[in-house]
Amino acid sequence: MKNFYRKVAFGLGPDEKAPSDPLEWAKNQLNNVPEFYWKGKILPEKELRGYYREWVYGDRKVLRKKFKNDKDGYKREKNKLRHATGQKFWWNLELCIRYSEALKSQNPVLAKLWYFWGNHFAISEKDFLAQYTTGAYQREIIRANMNQNFEKMAQEATKGWSMIHHLDNEQNIGPKSQSAKWAREKGKKRGVNENHARELLELHTVSPNCGYSQEDVIQMAYIMSGWRPEWGKKRLETGDVHFDPNAHQPGSKIVLGKKYKSGRKGLSNAITDLVNHPSCREFIAMKLCRYLITDNPTKEMMEPITKAWEKSDGFLPEVHKAAIEVAFNYSDKYNKFQNPENWLLQMSKMADVDLIPSPAFMDLYKIGNKPIRDHRALEYLMDELGQHPYLAKQPNGWSDISEDWMSPELLIRRLVYARESYYKKSGNSQTKEFYEEMIEKNYDNPGEILKIIGQHKELVHKHVILFNLPETLRS
Amino acid sequence: MKISRRNFLKGSATTLFLAGFNFPVLASNDKKKNLVIIMLRGGMDGLCAVPIIGDKNFEKRRKDLILDKTIKLNSDFALHPKLKNFHNLWQNNLAAIVHATNIPYTKRSHFDGQNLMETGGHIPYAIKTGWLGRGMKLAELKGDGLALALPMPLLLRGIPSNDNFYPSKKRLPRTELLQLLKSVYTDKSEHDLANMMEIIANRSMMNNGGTSMSRKNSSLALKAGLELKKINGPRVAVFEVDGFDTHAAQGGVNGSHSDSLIEMDSIFKSLEKGLGSEIEHTLVLTLTEFGRTIEQNGGRGTEHGYGSAIFMAGGLLKQSQVYSDWPGLKKKELFEGRDLNSTIDARSVYASAISTVFDIDFKRIQKEVFWGDKLQNLSDKLFKS
Repeated sequence: MKNFYRKVAFGLGPDEKAPSDPLEWAKNQLNNVPEFYWKGKILPEKELRGYYREWVYGDRKVLRKKFKNDKDGYKREKNKLRHATGQKFWWNLELCIRYSEALKSQNPVLAKLWYFWGNHFAISEKDFLAQYTTGAYQREIIRANMNQNFEKMAQEATKGWSMIHHLDNEQNIGPKSQSAKWAREKGKKRGVNENHARELLELHTVSPNCGYSQEDVIQMAYIMSGWRPEWGKKRLETGDVHFDPNAHQPGSKIVLGKKYKSGRKGLSNAITDLVNHPSCREFIAMKLCRYLITDNPTKEMMEPITKAWEKSDGFLPEVHKAAIEVAFNYSDKYNKFQNPENWLLQMSKMADVDLIPSPAFMDLYKIGNKPIRDHRALEYLMDELGQHPYLAKQPNGWSDISEDWMSPELLIRRLVYARESYYKKSGNSQTKEFYEEMIEKNYDNPGEILKIIGQHKELVHKHVILFNLPETLRS
Repeated sequence: MKISRRNFLKGSATTLFLAGFNFPVLASNDKKKNLVIIMLRGGMDGLCAVPIIGDKNFEKRRKDLILDKTIKLNSDFALHPKLKNFHNLWQNNLAAIVHATNIPYTKRSHFDGQNLMETGGHIPYAIKTGWLGRGMKLAELKGDGLALALPMPLLLRGIPSNDNFYPSKKRLPRTELLQLLKSVYTDKSEHDLANMMEIIANRSMMNNGGTSMSRKNSSLALKAGLELKKINGPRVAVFEVDGFDTHAAQGGVNGSHSDSLIEMDSIFKSLEKGLGSEIEHTLVLTLTEFGRTIEQNGGRGTEHGYGSAIFMAGGLLKQSQVYSDWPGLKKKELFEGRDLNSTIDARSVYASAISTVFDIDFKRIQKEVFWGDKLQNLSDKLFKS
């Protein structure tokens, strides 16, 4: 059962007592979305997007032209521009905010589910989105909606600047639209771009299990045509998302047998229907079980979650509580191999590893300067572990399948970074007693574990072994 | 020139010269042969990489993406001008192309498509092993796979104990500790973990020179070449190149599709360097989920399509050639009126490659790796026996 603390959160830290009712402890964290624990600077997405704009505009419109024939000058000035726009700093600040929720806040269960949703509506590696806006997107659109209906999260994620830009919907122009006509008169061709429409169906809502066709994808793309950042000569593609009727495909569209009128409301109406499709809740229930419990969820696991969804109209706190309860009920039977990020956070929390730089230290950073190495510690670490949360390779995010995280190199990372982390612990946590207490509190078989780690004398070795035991790798 | 549907079997001048001789068959079983797969993620545009020469349909539909100064391969096909290393191999009769080919997947989703290119199946996510892993299992090549990536690709699954290499900058804990973990894994029936710990404990690569290595594909390929060259080294290596999904700003010679092709080209170069003369006993093939639409889109990019091309390199190739059953590019010849069609199931090429490199009867591969699907044995058309 103690496994449950690690399954749905990151285990219990040195200052935490085991709750008398673990299930209630977990569920109580899911009703609200509290303020961030992070006490340092937190920038709004819009401001970070402004820095991204400066970067894109400065590089594309100024430097590339100015240094057309001077490769080295271009390189030098481009580096200056990186620092002038905080390119190497912001995502480190975002990781501080992100990991404080897991390690320091009163709601680590909410944090673990936040990471799930950020990965569900993933913004994968594209241009420099990760360095500027992806963290903020995950705060303002994903986490902020965790006490709302799934529909609200889906509506906002779909129409959010990050997703629209990430999945090329600005290129999605109705072939019979006014914009396409104007373009044709100038001898240019404009047409539909299916990318975002396809992912909305495949990854974000109903999944291929619902049996949509290529025609449904095209029709969905027609519905989405015209949703794009407001273009400006200086803004380029970084303007707020708006609906441009000139780029919208005229006429009604049919997706999964339902008809949608031409115009702005089509997308909202289509999302409403998609999130209410039975395949959507089944897909999300399956993904939640796969994230928390096992690679191969059973019908019995998924059912209480889809029921809670139906009863509450997809109200996320209820959906989450149902998922957590299923995880609780199966906690003795199933252990889920933890991805590198969740593994690192578990180790850091239980062993009191000083993972996150302090707000005061992070706030010392001055825009225009090159950040010092310690400002960038988290970025390096996540990259090394093989899972930087803002750099998923594809729009389907990081894998939730155990096998994808099992390989010699990935295991090597866990060995070497377990060792590194030991030296980032406070002095009073580097004692035998500390480990005994921590193991007693967090593991179901403390006697056996103590016996295994007892075969090595030095604490650092005990530490490396503990965090690479099957009991830790799987929770 | 107007090209209609017909067979191409054209080689370079050197090939035609050599074709007249009959070489004695060597006892190939004695020689360690290697298979390298380069996965091109995002949908590689076969029409950009290996454009058809003088097709008006093509030029009309892709006005802004036509490349300058392509390298002429034969009377019908050219090569992207940035694929210089591949071209060098071609000139030495060590490179070939299969064109208008793809896995039998037509739905245009990256995730489903990439899953199927790796499993070789028909239903996305239904198969949990890769066709290469299953082929290796059939050949009993346990512990002979090497992935040059951090997570283990699905393509290699199906046989345990594969290795991956993506250098860490830190030192490993001491050996006793690794041995202890290994025995705990074994006691707890964590066989996958135990196998990996065995690989880690035995790994010599970590300590080679001690300096931290670059993780660029070109450096990884050099390393892989050196490992494959060893008589007791791995026999299979897998690379990944991202970034082929160029919906926008695909560009011409210096565009984003070119960047990914250049990265692929650097793998060919480094592999050749690392392998040295062992390139003679090696086969390198590319693999992608689909090609791209013939028509450029509004953003000067291309959409997800169907037919693409396979790049092949190494001394196990029969000759430099563009092997194709060219379907044509007229509207009615296109798949769903928009994509280059696929007239060769790409799995036929991969099954034939497994047969050649692992010395297994084609029919067994067809039956046990690809579930008895209808595949053509292309071994004697493409590869040396």
